Amino acid sequence: MSANNDLKIDLMTKLFENSTEAIFFFDRDGKSISMNPAAEKIVDPAVRKQLREGADDAICKACRGYTSSTDLQTCLDCYLNSTKPTEFASFQVYLDTEGKGVIPYAATFHTIDPEQGIRVFMLRDLTPQFETQKKLHQNLMMKHVIEAQESERKRISRELHDSVAQELLSAVIELRALKYITASQEILNKTDETKMTLTRLLDDIRNLSVELRPAALDDFGLEAAFRSHFKRTEESFGITIEFKSDIEKRRYSNEIETVFYRVCQEAVLNAIKYAGVEEVNVYLFERDNAVQLIVRDEGEGFMMGMEPLGTGLGLYGMKERAELVDGHVGIFSQPTKGTTVHLRVPMGK
Amino acid sequence: MRNYADYQTQIEQLRSAAQYDFVAIALVEPAENQYVLKWKYGAGNLNDRFKKVVLKSGKGIAGIVYKTGKPLLIKNVSGFEDPTGLFNYPIVTFEKLRSIGAVPLWHNGRVAGVLLAGFRDTHKMTDEELELLWRAADKGIGNLNGKDLMLS
Repeated sequence: MSANNDLKIDLMTKLFENSTEAIFFFDRDGKSISMNPAAEKIVDPAVRKQLREGADDAICKACRGYTSSTDLQTCLDCYLNSTKPTEFASFQVYLDTEGKGVIPYAATFHTIDPEQGIRVFMLRDLTPQFETQKKLHQNLMMKHVIEAQESERKRISRELHDSVAQELLSAVIELRALKYITASQEILNKTDETKMTLTRLLDDIRNLSVELRPAALDDFGLEAAFRSHFKRTEESFGITIEFKSDIEKRRYSNEIETVFYRVCQEAVLNAIKYAGVEEVNVYLFERDNAVQLIVRDEGEGFMMGMEPLGTGLGLYGMKERAELVDGHVGIFSQPTKGTTVHLRVPMGK
Repeated sequence: MRNYADYQTQIEQLRSAAQYDFVAIALVEPAENQYVLKWKYGAGNLNDRFKKVVLKSGKGIAGIVYKTGKPLLIKNVSGFEDPTGLFNYPIVTFEKLRSIGAVPLWHNGRVAGVLLAGFRDTHKMTDEELELLWRAADKGIGNLNGKDLMLS
């Protein structure tokens, strides 16, 4: 019995000394009577001194209020002398800490000795948890934003392709029929010109539609979308893109395919913009249960961590997108040695 | 219409007469090629890469001149635009041009093509040089027929 008691005291002492949770003891009047090393560590030296000496309201010098149902930080009905102590079994409190500024804590405040009115105030740092939540929230938001952007692009792209381009095409065909109606060479010459303008406009609209979001990506998959994208890129920028694929027309989830398409688009455009090369190599393959993409150029390259030539958002965006499907983007570059962008997304969850 | 050899000879002559480093003509392709605009003839070119590019109306040098029907003068390429934006002007990069002038070629009251002349040194293409190019286009190559529009 006594051995058991000794063990208990020993354990409690160890808990008090070594716990990462900050523990303060207060008497009936709210004067501090003791605190553990973890508690000493978080408060400012001046406040620590006052707490040690048991000065009046010493904890108030560090405390920045607790979170009630109406306020984020309030001193109204303070836990130290609340009329309803049961409400403070678990709550959130802000403390001005040494070195870390005002940060939130999960706190509990309760009486452990009703006769002498001794109360304990225990604190657990909430910042890591808050950061995790913030990150989770950010990821979720980013996912929604990208989804919304893609579906809106898809809608406009379809609209352009299915209605605007179709109408325009019928107009061109109607113009063609004109030669059976009139024999006037003058009119026919003029309509030929119009036909030319309309045909080019039709081409522009189709390009716009594909640039927004290629229908080939949804209908035929990555390889087809890549091929047509590279063809257009070659036409626009006069560079050669060597494309090799081992995925044999396999299809993946819509999300993954979109990530691959957008990351590749960005990586190839970066190579065109900054590498100063005539040729870019793109390799799409499956290995180690993951879909992988390598975009490689042998151009100018850059120093990792160097001030970006552009906005620097492109590389960030690629990483963001990859993270949405649990993927990873590796960027390897050295000045004069070229740049490699490696996207890896695991298959199946 | 003139034939291939005719255009090629004309720009070769223009290049040696005016001492340009590079001269090129972009023309609209016939109906079977969807009327796309491409650089068809070049003199003093470093390679033929610029001929691969399909020009879009409103984009790039030829595209801007084609769309607006107005001449374009870039005295110094590096001051013209953010240098990172140059990838939108492949011909400038391919041919290492540093100063450029471009004028429209008219046909039936429409821009049918673009005549470009450039130097591989900055500030060699000036307002006077552009005027000369403009006149060359007007007299020779550009005189496809819409001369009245050229002057308006």
